[in-house]
Amino acid sequence: MAVDPVGRGLFTFLVGGKAGEGVKKAGSVASSLFADMGRHVCQMDDYQSLIRGGHNFSVVSTAVGPISSHYMQAQFAVSLDDRSFGLHRDHLAPDGVMVYNSDTTSPPDGDGRAFGLPITAEAKKYPRPELRVGVAAPAALCAALGLDKAYLRSLIEREYRRDLENNIPYAESIYDLAYAQFGGRYALRAGAASRQPIMDGAQAIALGAIAAGLDLYFAYPMTPSSSLLHFLASHAKEFGIVVEHPENEIAVANMAIGAAAAGARAMCGSSGGGLALMEEAFSLAGMAEVPILYFLGSRPGPSTGLPTYTSQGDLRFALNQGHGEFPRIVASPGSIEDGYYLTAEMLSLVWLFQTPGILLSEKHFTEGTMSVDLATDAAAWAEPLLSADGDYRRYRDTATGISPLPAAPEGQVVKWSSYEHDERGITTEEPLLTTKMVDKRLRKQAGIVEVLKRLNCTNRYEFGNGNAPVILTYGSTTLSVLEAVRAGGIEATVVQPRYLEPLPVWDLEQYQGRPLVVVEMSASGQFANLLAEKAGLRPRAVIRRYDGRPFDPVELAQAIKGAL
Amino acid sequence: MDELATYAENTWCPGCGNFAILGALKDAIRRLEGEGIARDKLRLVTGIGQHGKIFDYVNVSGFYALHGRAVATAQGMKLADPDLRIMVFVGDGDTLGEGLEHVLFAAKRNADITVVVHDNGVYALTTGQYAPTSVRGYRGPSTPTGSVEEPLRPLPLLLQAGATFVARGFAGRREQLTDMLVQAVLHPGFSFIDVLQPCVTFNNTWQLYNGLVEPIAQPASSYDEAMALARRSDRLPIGVLYRADVQPFHQALYGDRNPVRDRLSREERLDGIARLLQVERRAPSLPSLSPRAALEMAMPAHEQAASASQ
Repeated sequence: MAVDPVGRGLFTFLVGGKAGEGVKKAGSVASSLFADMGRHVCQMDDYQSLIRGGHNFSVVSTAVGPISSHYMQAQFAVSLDDRSFGLHRDHLAPDGVMVYNSDTTSPPDGDGRAFGLPITAEAKKYPRPELRVGVAAPAALCAALGLDKAYLRSLIEREYRRDLENNIPYAESIYDLAYAQFGGRYALRAGAASRQPIMDGAQAIALGAIAAGLDLYFAYPMTPSSSLLHFLASHAKEFGIVVEHPENEIAVANMAIGAAAAGARAMCGSSGGGLALMEEAFSLAGMAEVPILYFLGSRPGPSTGLPTYTSQGDLRFALNQGHGEFPRIVASPGSIEDGYYLTAEMLSLVWLFQTPGILLSEKHFTEGTMSVDLATDAAAWAEPLLSADGDYRRYRDTATGISPLPAAPEGQVVKWSSYEHDERGITTEEPLLTTKMVDKRLRKQAGIVEVLKRLNCTNRYEFGNGNAPVILTYGSTTLSVLEAVRAGGIEATVVQPRYLEPLPVWDLEQYQGRPLVVVEMSASGQFANLLAEKAGLRPRAVIRRYDGRPFDPVELAQAIKGAL
Repeated sequence: MDELATYAENTWCPGCGNFAILGALKDAIRRLEGEGIARDKLRLVTGIGQHGKIFDYVNVSGFYALHGRAVATAQGMKLADPDLRIMVFVGDGDTLGEGLEHVLFAAKRNADITVVVHDNGVYALTTGQYAPTSVRGYRGPSTPTGSVEEPLRPLPLLLQAGATFVARGFAGRREQLTDMLVQAVLHPGFSFIDVLQPCVTFNNTWQLYNGLVEPIAQPASSYDEAMALARRSDRLPIGVLYRADVQPFHQALYGDRNPVRDRLSREERLDGIARLLQVERRAPSLPSLSPRAALEMAMPAHEQAASASQ
C-alpha cells in the first residue's frame, strides 16, 4: 500500500535500546533535526515501567506538511543493542537502512540493509559509556541524510548541552564511520522556511492551563499524568504558579478544592488509579460548587495495568465520576493544539459554572510529540461571575443555578459545605429546601448545554465529497485516524466530539443513517456505546485496540477500508 | 446578642464537651481581633462528625469539608492565600483514623494551620463506635465484646511527625483553651491541639479527666522533655507542651508572595508562553467565542442574576 499518496516526503526514523541509554532523547534530537529542515514531525516513545534495562524505542515520522502519527515502518533505524535489532528488523522498509551495534550484534547474513557501527566500543573511549550510546543515533542519522559535521556539532550542543567535550567527539567519530557506509543515502526535502515548534500533549495542557489563569497545580506522581506535573513544576517560577506534590491523591484533590475555594484557579491530575482516590472529592466539588478541573491521563487498566502505555478504557469512569447527582463537564482533546485551547476552555467553564470538570486524555497524547501551529491568544480566561450584593449568599438560588462569588470578600461570610445546605451554606435536612438546592445545582446543566451549543464542540474533517462514510473517534485516536485516512487515501468524514459530557448530540444526530465506523482504544467499545445511547448512532464496525500501543496508520487504514 | 452566632439550631447533647470548644473559639476570635487578625481573614475548616457542627454555629467563613480531609482542604486554602489564618476543627476518628496521613504530613511540612482535635474517644455522630483514641476494651456497636486495640496517642505521634506547636486542652478548662487557640493561630507554622472532650452520651470522661489533668505553666524546654510530657499517662499535662520556631511551609515554598493576589496577568502569561515556544503571539484565524460570552448570548446578565425562587 502506498503510504505517501500525496508525496509528502514521508520518512521515519526509529531508535531502540535499553532504558537509560538515552533512547527517548535520541528521538527528540531527531525530531529537532527534522524541525530544523522546516518539516513536520510526530514522535512516539515506547518505554516500559523501569529505569534501567528492558527495551525502549522512539519512532519519529516526518513529512513536508501536517503529519499526525508515527509510522511503524522505518526508513532509517538504529539499534543500540542486540534485542532492538531483533525486534525492529521487521519494521524496516524494503529500501531502509538498519544500523546495528557491531559490539553486541553479529553481522546478519545476506541483509544488505544492515550496517554495523562500533557504538559501544567508541563510547568506551569516554567516561560513563553506557549513558552515551544514544548520541550515536542522531550522529548516524546526520550521516544518512548527508548533513555536514558543523550542523551535527551545533545539534549536539543545542540538544545535549551537558558533557559536550565528550559527546561531540563521540558523535563525530560515529558520524565518520557511518558516512563511510551510507553517507548521504537519503535526500530529504526541506519544508517551510520557518521552524515549527514541537511540543507534547502534556506541555500543551500545561500551557493552556497557564494561559487560562492557573495558579496552583496539585498532583501525585502516576504515569502518564506525571509529565504534566513535571512540566508545570519546572516552569512554576517563570509563570508565578505553585506546584505541590503532597502525600497522596486524596490530599491532592482536597487541597486543590481548598485552594479553589480560597480563590485560586486550581487543577489536579492523575491516571485512573489516582483518580479513583480523588473521586470522593469530585463529589465534594459537585456539592460545594467548587470550580475544579481534574486531568485524567489514561493508561491500560484495570488496576496497575500497563503503566507506560496508552488506553481509552477510562471513558465511562470519567463520565460517571463521583457519587450523587450534579453537573459535570468532560472533554478530550483531539490534537496537541487543542490540548492548549480545550484545557483553557475547560478551566473557564468550570469557573463559570462552579462545578467539577475532567480533561480526559491518554498516554499517547500526553507523551506524544508533534509539530504544532499554535494561536497562543486563542486561550479562554477563567473567571467567575461576581456579585456585589451586600447580603451575600454563597449558594444564592438564581435562574441559571450559578451563585456568583463575592466581588469583595472583605466583611462577607462565605461558607462552602459538603452537607446539603441552605443558600448561606448552613446545613439542612429539610425536604423542601433539599429539593430546591438539588434543583439549583442541576439547573446549571441546562446552562452548560446552552453555552456548549455556542462553542465548537465537534471537529469535522472532510476527506472526500461530504457524502462519504463517517469515521467517529475522539481523543488522541483522532490523530491516528487522520493519519490513517491520509495514508490510505480514504474518502471519509472524520467526526470528533471534543466534549463527551454533555455529549454534543446536536452535532452528532445528523450522522444517523450514514455509514459509520467508530475507532477507539477500548476493549468494550465504550465510545461506540455512548454514541448509541446518547446520539442514536449505530456503527457498522467498531475498530478497537487495547494492547496499550497506539494504532499504526497503515494498519488502521487497512482496518477502516475493511470495515467500509 | 452574640454576633458570632448563626441561626443554626445547636444539636449537641446538654453537657457535651463541644460547648466549651465553641465558647473558647468565639472568645479566641474576639481576642485575635485585638491582636490585629480581622475576622474576615479567619477561616474555619471542619471535618465530619459531631465536632463539625461548630462550622454551622459560628458566623465566620470557611469550608465544611469531607470526613478526614479537612486538614488537606485547609492546606490548599493556605497555599492559595497565605494571608488567611486557618483553624481546622476535626474529630479523633475523623483525623486520626480516616485522614491520619494528612495531619502527619501537615506536621512534617510545617503547614501554617491550626488543627484542633475534638478528642472524645468515640464516633459519636454514628452512634458510638470505638475510635482511634478509645481505650482497649471499649464496647460499641462495632465492638460489642470490647475493642482489642490499644489507643493511638496523638501528641507523641505529632511531635515525632514534626509539629512545631503541640498542646493538650481540656473542655473543662475553657479559659486555658481560649488562650491556647490564640497562641496556636499566632504561631507561624503547624499547630496541633488535642482537646480532651467528654461525650456525655457514649463516653463520659468528665470525672476521669477532672482527676487526671494537670496544667503546665509553660512549654517544655526541649523536644525530648516535651516528648516525655506527651507520653505521661499517670497524669495528663494540659497546656502548650512544645513550640519551635521553624519557617512555615508556604514561605519555604514560595517566599513572601501571595500566589493569587500576585498572579501574572493574562498578557504576561501569553507573552511567557510565546517566549517559551519561541513563536510570535497570534490570535486565532477564526474568532472564537469565550464560554463567558456564550453564556451572555444564551442568557443576559440581568436574567442570570434573577432569583429562581420568585
